Amino acid sequence: MMNDAELIQWRERALRFEQQLNQTVIGIQPAVRQIVIAVFARGHVLLEGHVGVGKTTLLRAVAQGLGGYFERIEGTIDLMPADLIYYTYLDENGRPRVDPGPLLKQGERLSTFFFNEINRARPQVHSLLLRAMAERSVNAFNREHAMPHFQVFADRNRVERQETFELPAAAKDRFMMEIRIERPDDEALLEQLMFDPRFHDVDRLIAGIDPGGIAYDRLNDLAQTVQEKIQTSPKLRRYALDLWQATQDPARYGIHLADVDMKQLLLSGASPRGMSYLIRAAKTRAWLEARDYVLPEDVQAIFEVCTRHRLFINPVYGYRKEQLVPQLAAAILQQVAAP
Amino acid sequence: MKRLLILTPLLLLGCSGAPEEALIRFEVETPRPFGYVIGDEIREKILIETRSGITLNTASLPAEGPLNRWLNLNRVEVEQDGQRYRIDLRYQVFYAPLTVRTLTLPGFTLQFGSGGSAFNKEIPPWRFTMSPLRDLAVKSAEGGASIRPDSLPPQLDTRQAMILITAGSGAAAAAAGALTFLYGYFPALRRRTLFKQALKRLSRIPEKDMAEALRTVHRALNALNRQPLYQRQLAGFYEAHPEYRRLDSQLNWFFNYSNHYFFSRNVSATALDRQKLTALCQACRQIERGSR
Repeated sequence: MMNDAELIQWRERALRFEQQLNQTVIGIQPAVRQIVIAVFARGHVLLEGHVGVGKTTLLRAVAQGLGGYFERIEGTIDLMPADLIYYTYLDENGRPRVDPGPLLKQGERLSTFFFNEINRARPQVHSLLLRAMAERSVNAFNREHAMPHFQVFADRNRVERQETFELPAAAKDRFMMEIRIERPDDEALLEQLMFDPRFHDVDRLIAGIDPGGIAYDRLNDLAQTVQEKIQTSPKLRRYALDLWQATQDPARYGIHLADVDMKQLLLSGASPRGMSYLIRAAKTRAWLEARDYVLPEDVQAIFEVCTRHRLFINPVYGYRKEQLVPQLAAAILQQVAAP
Repeated sequence: MKRLLILTPLLLLGCSGAPEEALIRFEVETPRPFGYVIGDEIREKILIETRSGITLNTASLPAEGPLNRWLNLNRVEVEQDGQRYRIDLRYQVFYAPLTVRTLTLPGFTLQFGSGGSAFNKEIPPWRFTMSPLRDLAVKSAEGGASIRPDSLPPQLDTRQAMILITAGSGAAAAAAGALTFLYGYFPALRRRTLFKQALKRLSRIPEKDMAEALRTVHRALNALNRQPLYQRQLAGFYEAHPEYRRLDSQLNWFFNYSNHYFFSRNVSATALDRQKLTALCQACRQIERGSR
């Protein structure tokens, strides 16, 4: 546990970290804020967005800032779970060798694991990740390997659907947030991205971030302190509960979307784990806002990213999923009152 | 010559006439004496022309009203034109004969007066026949003319009445609507009295119950915004309701205070806070009434 002075110190570091990220990847402040919250709430993040909007750059910048070890793997259709755990090769003496794969190579020091194009990997790989993400450990070489500081960032692009495997609900649920990275609209920003040489060399760009400005091995301790120090009042609990209920039964809260039978819309609402993530993230946001209590606006700020990938839409409405889910999340926030 | 002398008085005598001759003309005009059925009216006209100095005593005319069991004298009209009288009598018969039957209109006596003397003139009784309306034994089975049902009453044209009723009730409804509007009873117009209701409720909430007081103001603001209003949405709220922008600092105080009160630890409300809350609500009410 940390004391209050340390918490304040950490908050300043977190804000500086956020600021540096915003200088590295411009025009996506909300997404950066959400990633910072996820980092300090110790939640895994699923990034979604078009090609070339800076997802990888952002994650590399995060990894740089956190210090610790960074591993990445590209999802491909022939990637097998074993490829994450070990790899075999012939050494210089011509002998076969088995070495730990990307997941194990760094042992406990692994802090950021970047799974690129996660939806190209097969369900077997997804299921390996299930355990790794939930328990932060894997079984390999006849023993259990713990990775206490391990945080998964996965991304998938929205352009292609061929040769991809939709993430199973269980895997999706283990991600704290699904963050959408949009291309910036602001023309000045776009111009800057096009012509400012600073953004052309990603390696140099990322080097601008203080390496290890945030000590990755203290994050768990910090997250625990934040979770315990930040208060939630009974009114806020009631509000969060109402939000959760609204994801289960939107019609009861008077939520209606155009051309949708609300009774049929959802197969299932947000899970209890999802809701505990929601409160964890809300507390972290309250801490970043220098408060020791959670406000409804904290919950509202991260409600959509924490809930969107947990709402499972009836296949009847599947073709409108892309519009309906954000609409539903926004409608829930609009309809549920606090206090 | 002697013969001429005898003839002259005779001629004179022949021209002068008897006292009976006081009536120059006396005619009783009666209609056809047959073919009457129950309820028919019979008109009898008496035309009289008297010599000058002789007048008809109208009191000798029969009185209007029932003459006997089956006969009614409906009307007696006397028209006098100098020495000419025209008496119009209208009888109505109510006799229901079983077969054709002869009946008699009773006669009566007209009295005339001339100076001191008077004389009478008899109006003779008049006989006529009445027929039954139908045969005594009518067998409906034989297709005889039994009593048929009444013909349907003709349909009256009610269009105008309907138009008037519609117009009238429309006018009444409009008047009632206008009154309701004036009294502010319209449920849709509750939105225009949101803060009035909130103020009323606030006055009833005890001083200590700050939570309920805050909630009341929240509810009024939410209702005005048509969805829950949070502090960060104030900018959008001002766009929809620009008149509330002047309360910006008060509203921000309210949201901060409410956030503190509901979501942080151990905040105790003071009477001053309550006053500020009421002042905010009153300011909102003034804006709502458009008086500020």
